[in-house]
Amino acid sequence: MDTARSHEPFIATRGLTREYRVGPAVVRALADVSLDVRRGEFLAVLGVSGSGKSTLLHLLGGLDTPTAGSVLVNGRDLATFTSYERTVYRRTVVGFVFQSYYLVPSLTAEENVALALTFQGTFGREGRRLADEAIRRVGLEHRARHRPSQLSGGEQQRVALARAIVHTPPLLLADEPTGNLDSATAQEVVSLIQRIHQELGTTVVMVTHDQEMAARLADRVVRLRDGRLADTGAAGP
Amino acid sequence: MRIWRIILLAIGSLRRTPLRVALTALGVAIGSSALVSMIAFALGVQRQAETPFRALGLVNVIRVSPKKDKDGGRGPALEDAALRRIEALPGVEAAYPDFRVRGLKIVRGDKMTSVVAIGLPRDVPLPGTAGDLLVAGEYFTPGAKPEIILGTQVARDLGLDTPQEALGATLRLETSGLSPGEAAKTFTFERKDLAVSVVGVYDLPNLLAGKMSGAVLLPVDLMRQIPGVESGSLLDRLKLGSDPTQPGYPEVTVRVRRHTDVAPVDKAIQAMGFRTRTLLSRLEDLRTFFLFMDVLLAAVGTVALLVAGLGIINTLLISVLERYQEIGLCKAIGASDGDVFVLFLTEAGAIGLVGGAAGLALGRAVCWGLELAINSYARTQGITAYLEVFAFPLWLVTATVLFSVGISVLAGVYPALRAARTDPIRALRRE
Repeated sequence: MDTARSHEPFIATRGLTREYRVGPAVVRALADVSLDVRRGEFLAVLGVSGSGKSTLLHLLGGLDTPTAGSVLVNGRDLATFTSYERTVYRRTVVGFVFQSYYLVPSLTAEENVALALTFQGTFGREGRRLADEAIRRVGLEHRARHRPSQLSGGEQQRVALARAIVHTPPLLLADEPTGNLDSATAQEVVSLIQRIHQELGTTVVMVTHDQEMAARLADRVVRLRDGRLADTGAAGP
Repeated sequence: MRIWRIILLAIGSLRRTPLRVALTALGVAIGSSALVSMIAFALGVQRQAETPFRALGLVNVIRVSPKKDKDGGRGPALEDAALRRIEALPGVEAAYPDFRVRGLKIVRGDKMTSVVAIGLPRDVPLPGTAGDLLVAGEYFTPGAKPEIILGTQVARDLGLDTPQEALGATLRLETSGLSPGEAAKTFTFERKDLAVSVVGVYDLPNLLAGKMSGAVLLPVDLMRQIPGVESGSLLDRLKLGSDPTQPGYPEVTVRVRRHTDVAPVDKAIQAMGFRTRTLLSRLEDLRTFFLFMDVLLAAVGTVALLVAGLGIINTLLISVLERYQEIGLCKAIGASDGDVFVLFLTEAGAIGLVGGAAGLALGRAVCWGLELAINSYARTQGITAYLEVFAFPLWLVTATVLFSVGISVLAGVYPALRAARTDPIRALRRE
């Protein structure tokens, strides 16, 4: 995929800073982070808990707004998006995977996947087709009609992954996707993410504290320490 | 049709907490059933009160009598010439002396009964007597044939068990009364028998049944032949201090074509110097009273529904708190604030719709039960007619459901706003 691997940054941050006010104190979760993510790249963000990894991901996904600095999507500042454009950005460009899956407990696996499509206006036969395809991609077709409570942690995360990619977003943001899983199951989920990255050309930004896994999977690893970018290093082949 | 999909989603979320939703909807149902039965009661009573007047065409009637001042002065006499002038007024259908004789004896073979006779013109039947009130036969024929229309009760009293049997029967009227004598202030007692044949049998509506079931109708021209009738009730006239020998009728009935004719005709007759009374003006008073009653009862019902609205606010706020993460997630995966707002507003509206419909059914059932109870009590009190105490016109049915949905949606606004304003970051912050 030549176009997918072009060298212009797909997502970029410039001096990205995010501060939270906790009572009288100001906590700086992210400080002056400048980062380029190329289209089709698999970027791993390493860091211990509290290093600002999730904050970075939320800012990239347009869920949060920076205190200073900017997030550029194809060169356009996310801050200039109207609230509706921001919603459309989340709806069509971004797919989110969280550590705690966040599946709706009353909906089946298939319905959870289709939920993402609902807000985009795709449903009915086309919606079911896309949901089935996404569920097949994560290998859960035999569990499609089960509710989250009937699924294992790994299966739940795979449903969440299917939901994140059902609309084939160009950008997948994964926030500690294996944090709640044992290593064998974690391996399964991570392999799926890698396969999606390779087969669909999806740009992936994955936050993790697992250095070994990051090095093995990602095209590039960046390290966050106390909200600052510590070092950048190419990983893998 | 993203909205439609979100509505389905809302219904899906309601099914998650069926008991809570059912209880909330029950609150709405009780509120709306209170509202609908209160208004149905007000409407029913109003209808019950007005129907007989309408059926008899009494709304289109003006009663005219000569004017009298306190100091003894008097207006023009109500003679035949005045009647003709009134009849010439636009909108007037008929003007005829209000003849009414009590204690008239009717004889058929060995059977005899005492009745009230009411005089009516031959050419213009009362709406009621020409229409559905007439159970057999027809109204008086033009001409001068001695005819009579019997009430169903009178027919039975005379041994005529079915209305059909009564038609064509010949009856004898035994009349007697005081007529003005040759000389002034003298009277002669007179007896007179009249032979009449039955042309029709009528049945009067409920509320008047007690008073008028024993009445018969006679053509005005026939009434004139009854001794004493022309001068009215002699005692009444003496009591009122008027001269019994003075020409003219004590009271005249004027019938107009439409109820809109009542006011102008009434005015014109007053301008001629007569005193008038209309039922319409009294009906207006009745209307005002019922309007007051409607508002009062509707207010009580609305309060009940407002309380139910608080229940909806409560239920939805709990739901917003419980589904905090889910709302955050929906926003993270592409739901707009508007989507979330619509989602919760739809849940409120759905509760209102179900509650309103259930309340309507509940209200109808309760009213039906009450009506049965009221009627069985009425029967013990000797009222045979079935009383329709409650009225459910289509507009009331529709308005009740719409009002329930409206109040519910209104109650949903605040919880829906809270849900829409959920910050996805806070909602999705790791536990």
